[in-house]
Amino acid sequence: MSLRYLKSMPTVLTLTSAVFACIALWPAMDRPARAIDRNAAYDVLDYASPLELLLSPDGTRLYVLCQESGEVRVLDAATYDVIKKIAVGRMPRGISLSPDGHRLFVTNSWDDTLSVIDTGSLTVVATWPVGAEPSGVVEDPTGKRLFVANRISNDIAVLDAQTGVEEKRLLGGRGASYLTLSPDGRRIYATHVYPNPSPHRTAPESEITVIDAERAIVVDRIPLHAVAGVFHLAFSTDGRLGVVAEYHPKNLVPLAHLEHGGAFADTLTLFGADVGKPVEIPLDELERYAAQPFGVAIAPDKSHIYVTCGGSEMVTVVDVPRLLRYTHTHPGPHVQDLSASANYVTARIAVGHNPRGLTLSHDGRKLFVANRLDDTISVIDTRTNRVASTIALAGPKTRSKLRHGEQTFYSAHYSFQGQIGCATCHIDSTFDGLTWDLEPDGFGRDIVDNRLIEDVKDTEPFKWNGGNPNIPTECGPRTEKYFWRSENYDNLTLTDLTVYIRSLLPRPNRWRLPGYQFTPAQERGKALFERAVDKFGKPIPETNRCSFCHSGPKGTNQKSFDVGTKKTTDNPGPLDTAHLTNIALTAPYLHDGSARTLEEIWTVFNPEDKHGRTNDLTKDELNDLIEYLRTR
Amino acid sequence: MRASARILALAASVAFLIPVCGFAPDAAEKPDADLIVTAAPVYAPLAALRGPGQSYERFPKGAQLLLLHDGNAEPLVNGFAATADANISFDAKRVLFSGKQAVVDPWQIWEMTLADRSVRKVIATATDAVRPFYLPAGRLVYAHRTANGFQLEVAGKDAPTGYAPLDAKAGETVLPLSYLPASAVPADVLADGRILFEAGYPLGTGSTPEMFLVYSDGSGVESYRCDHGVPRWGGRQLASGDVVFTHGRSLARFTSPLAAEARVVAPQADYAGAIAETSSGAWLMSARAGVGAHYALKLWKPGAAALQTLLAEKDKDIVQPVVVAARKRPNRHPTGLHDWNYANMLALDARQSRLGNLKATPASVRLETQDAKGHAVITGTAPVESDGSFFVKTPADKPIRFALLDEKGTVVRQEHGWFWIRRGEQRICVGCHTGPEHASENRVPAVLLRTTTPADLSVVSGAGTANHGTPGGN
Repeated sequence: MSLRYLKSMPTVLTLTSAVFACIALWPAMDRPARAIDRNAAYDVLDYASPLELLLSPDGTRLYVLCQESGEVRVLDAATYDVIKKIAVGRMPRGISLSPDGHRLFVTNSWDDTLSVIDTGSLTVVATWPVGAEPSGVVEDPTGKRLFVANRISNDIAVLDAQTGVEEKRLLGGRGASYLTLSPDGRRIYATHVYPNPSPHRTAPESEITVIDAERAIVVDRIPLHAVAGVFHLAFSTDGRLGVVAEYHPKNLVPLAHLEHGGAFADTLTLFGADVGKPVEIPLDELERYAAQPFGVAIAPDKSHIYVTCGGSEMVTVVDVPRLLRYTHTHPGPHVQDLSASANYVTARIAVGHNPRGLTLSHDGRKLFVANRLDDTISVIDTRTNRVASTIALAGPKTRSKLRHGEQTFYSAHYSFQGQIGCATCHIDSTFDGLTWDLEPDGFGRDIVDNRLIEDVKDTEPFKWNGGNPNIPTECGPRTEKYFWRSENYDNLTLTDLTVYIRSLLPRPNRWRLPGYQFTPAQERGKALFERAVDKFGKPIPETNRCSFCHSGPKGTNQKSFDVGTKKTTDNPGPLDTAHLTNIALTAPYLHDGSARTLEEIWTVFNPEDKHGRTNDLTKDELNDLIEYLRTR
Repeated sequence: MRASARILALAASVAFLIPVCGFAPDAAEKPDADLIVTAAPVYAPLAALRGPGQSYERFPKGAQLLLLHDGNAEPLVNGFAATADANISFDAKRVLFSGKQAVVDPWQIWEMTLADRSVRKVIATATDAVRPFYLPAGRLVYAHRTANGFQLEVAGKDAPTGYAPLDAKAGETVLPLSYLPASAVPADVLADGRILFEAGYPLGTGSTPEMFLVYSDGSGVESYRCDHGVPRWGGRQLASGDVVFTHGRSLARFTSPLAAEARVVAPQADYAGAIAETSSGAWLMSARAGVGAHYALKLWKPGAAALQTLLAEKDKDIVQPVVVAARKRPNRHPTGLHDWNYANMLALDARQSRLGNLKATPASVRLETQDAKGHAVITGTAPVESDGSFFVKTPADKPIRFALLDEKGTVVRQEHGWFWIRRGEQRICVGCHTGPEHASENRVPAVLLRTTTPADLSVVSGAGTANHGTPGGN
C-alpha cells in the first residue's frame, strides 16, 4: 500500500511553560479577599464571583453573595439595579435570612467570622467570631439560635442568635458545609463536601446530619453510601420531599476510560415521606453528563427540581411527578443506569461559567442562577425553560488570564463527553479525600491519594512518582491522555490554567498562632521534627530526619525517596516528597492513602523507621509532632 | 468487472460529464449553502458489507458527484469515470471523495480544493478505498478493501508511534483500525471524536447491518446501542448530538438519554440514510417511493407532513447529500495506547448482561481468537472471581471473543460475534454485553485484590478448535 496524503498539516505547537515572576510572601493577617495570589505578574481584576443568591421574603430584593469581592450585592428584584453593596469578610461562602427577614447572615470562610446585616438599613450590625472556615448558616424559627457549619473542624456550631456566643458544637460530616432548615422549622439538615473516613479502598461514605433545631442535638445521620462531595439540600414546601446534590465517584475502578460513566456519576439523593427510604438517582445520560451538581431548588408547587451543574455549565430540570412515579415503580438501584434520567430529566438549560447558587421567585416563575465565573446571573423562565435575561454584575468587562484559567479549571467541557473537570476531584480548588486507581500505572497498581493543590506552586515535580516536572506537563499531555481522554486545551488556555493553579494560596492555617509563635506542644513537636539525635542519644542520619525531606517553606525538598511505604502493588521507584501545606486537613495520608491519620503514618506504616526515626517516640510525643505539623 | 458492466459504467460516466444545467428544484425552501450529492443509476447502500462471493460495489453502474449551486447542478469533478462519497473539510475549503479515473481502476481517495477545483490523490491502494471522512489533526478515515472485506484505516501525519510508517520524512502513516473477518465501513465522525461505522451484527459473523463506534486509534470498539435486531445503517450525527439513521422504510435516532433507538416520525418513504442537516435544522435526505423507484434529494423540516423535493433525476439515484459549509471540528482523540504487542482486559462483573444476569458465577472465562485461515482457536482460560470479575492479557489486533464456563467447562454464555482490542489498549467492560447505558459500580474488582497481573491468554497454545455449538450468547 502506498500513501499520498500531501495536504498541509496544522502546525503542531510546542508547549512552553509560562514563566512567572516571583512573589513575596504575604503576612498572614493582611490578605485581601480572594484566594489567589494578587502580587503576581498577571492581571488580577476585581471580579465579584457571585456564589449564592437569596430573595427577600417580600420578593423585592435579590441578595447576591459575591465570593471574590467579599460583599453582598443587593439588587432590585424587578429592575436588577444595584441598591447597595455591603462589604463583608474574606471569601464569604454562606448566606441566609432570619425567618422574619430582618437579618441577613453571611459566613466569611477565610476570616472565621459571621457578618450580621440589618436588612432595613442594609448595614453590617455585627461581626462575630465563629469556627474554622464557616460555611452554611441558618437561624432556627424562634430566632433563638444560629447554626453554622464549619468546614475545617467538621462540625456545626450552635450560637446564641442575639449575641453570637457559641453554646456548643455538633459533629457533622467531614467538611461540613451546607445547612438547610426544614419547612416546619423543626430540623436542620447538614451536608459535607469531603467523605467521612472509611477503610482503605472501600467505597466512600457520606451522610446528611439531621439536627433537632429546638434541642440542638443530632437526631439522625442519613447515610449516603458511595457518595463523596455533598452540596446543597432543598425541601419541597410541604416538607415531604428532600433532595441533595452530590458526586458519586468511581475511584475504586481503574480509570481506563470515561465512557459509560467511568469516572463519576452525578446524582441526587431523595428522601422524605414522598420517597420513603432514601433513593439515589442519576442525572447523567449515556453521552452527556450533569457534571458537578451543586445548587438545588424545588418549585413551590413541587412540579420541578432545579439543579445547577457547575462543570457542565447548565441547569438540569427534573419533573417531580415523573421522578416519583419512576422511583416508586423501579426499586433500583438506579445509579448505574445512564438511561434512567430519561424518565424524569426534562430539560438541560445552558447558563454561564460555573453556575452555583440558585433561587426561585416566590411564584416559581423565575429561577435566578449565580454564574460564579461570569459575574452574571441567569434569569430562567421556568415555563419555557429558557434563559429570559442575564444580569451582568458591575465589574471588569475583560477576562483576565486568571479568570480564564479558573473557568477552565471548573469546566467539564474538555473531558470526553463532558464528564469531569479539574474541580470534580479538586473540590473548591482543594482535594476530594479519595484515592484513585489510574490506568497508565496498571490496573490495581500504584493506587494514589489525591493531593491538595493549595500552595502547589514551586513544589514540582508532580505525581507521586515525581514523573511530571511541572504543571503544564501535569495538566497538559498527561491530563489529556489519561483523565480527559479527549482533546485538551490549546496552549494559551493551558497557560492560563497554569497561572490559575500557581496562584492558589493556602487557606489560613487555623493552628498557627499570630506572629508565628508556637504553643508548647507545637514547640516540642517542632523540636522532634528537626531533631538530629534520637531518644537514645543515637544520631539520626540527616537523610532520615523529618526536616530533611520536608524542608523549605512548603515542607518539601522536591526530591524523591523510598521511605518504606510502598506496597506490593506499587511499581518500583522512589516517591515524591509531598508538601506539607495544611497537612492536617488532607487525610488520608501517604502516597496511596493507606494511612487514615497522621499518627498511622508512624505507628502503622513506619516499622523500620525509614520514613524518619519515629519508633522511639511515645504517644504524647507523636501528638506533639502532629501539633507542629498542623501549623504547616 | 464484466465487459457489459464496464460498458454500462463507461456510458454512465460519459453521461455524467455533461453538465446538468437548468436544474430547478420544486422546493419552496432552499438550503442556504451549496450542496454536493452523488448521482448514480444504481445505488446499493449496503453492498460494501456483503460477504465473500457477493458484489460489494455500491455503485455498479458508476456514480458522479454533483455540486448544487444556486439552483443549478453540475459535475463537481471532471475527468473521472466515477466519483462518490463526498466529505467536506471542517473549514469547507476542501472535499474528500472516492473516485476512479478509469472504469477499471479501483476506487481511491481524492481531495479537491474547492476554490480552484484542483484535485489530488491522497490514498492510493491496490484495491478499493472508499467512504473517506476528515478527522481532526490532519487525518482521515476510510474503508480499504482487503481479503477480509472492507476494513477501517486511518491515515495522516499526526498518528502516534506504533503506526506503520510509509514516509517517515513526511510523517505519513496508515493505521488499520478494524481487525475483523468481515467488512466495516465508516459512516460519520462524531463530535466526541469517535468514528461511527457500519458492519454486520453480530460483529464479524452476522449480516444484519448495525452501527458501531471506535476511537481513531482503533481502541474502544463497541456497539452504539445494544437493542440489536433491526437492520440500521446510514447514520449521521446532527448538531444536537443525536445520530439519525435509517431502517430503509423508516428513520430512527440514537439520542443521549435513551438506551434504545427512538423512532423518527417522518413521511412514509424508502430512505437511503446519510442525511445532512442545514443551518436552519432542516434535513436533507435521499428518499424514494419504493424499491423500484430512484432516490431523490428531499428537504424535510422535522415535524413537517411532507418531504420537499430538491433534486430528482429520472434515471438516477441522488444520494449522499453534504452541505458545503464550515462546521465544528470534532474533538481529537489523544491515544493512550501503550507500547505493547498485547492488550489487557478487565471485566468488572461478567455475570451481568442485557440478556439476563447469570445467577451462578462462572468458574472461568475462555478466550478465542482466529488463526490465519479464520478458524476459531482457543488461547486459554482464566478464573472468574466470586464477584464476576476477571483480568486477562489478550492478543492484540486480532478478532477475539470470550466465553464463560461453569466448573465442568461447559459454556454458559458466549459472544456470538468478534471484536478486537488494540495493541497497548487496557480496557474495562462492566459486564458481558451490558449495553452502553450500564455504568460501573464503585468497588475494587475482586480479581485486582488477588492479583494485578493479568492471566496471560495472549498466545495461541494450539489447544484446539473452539466449539461453536454453545448455548446462550451475546
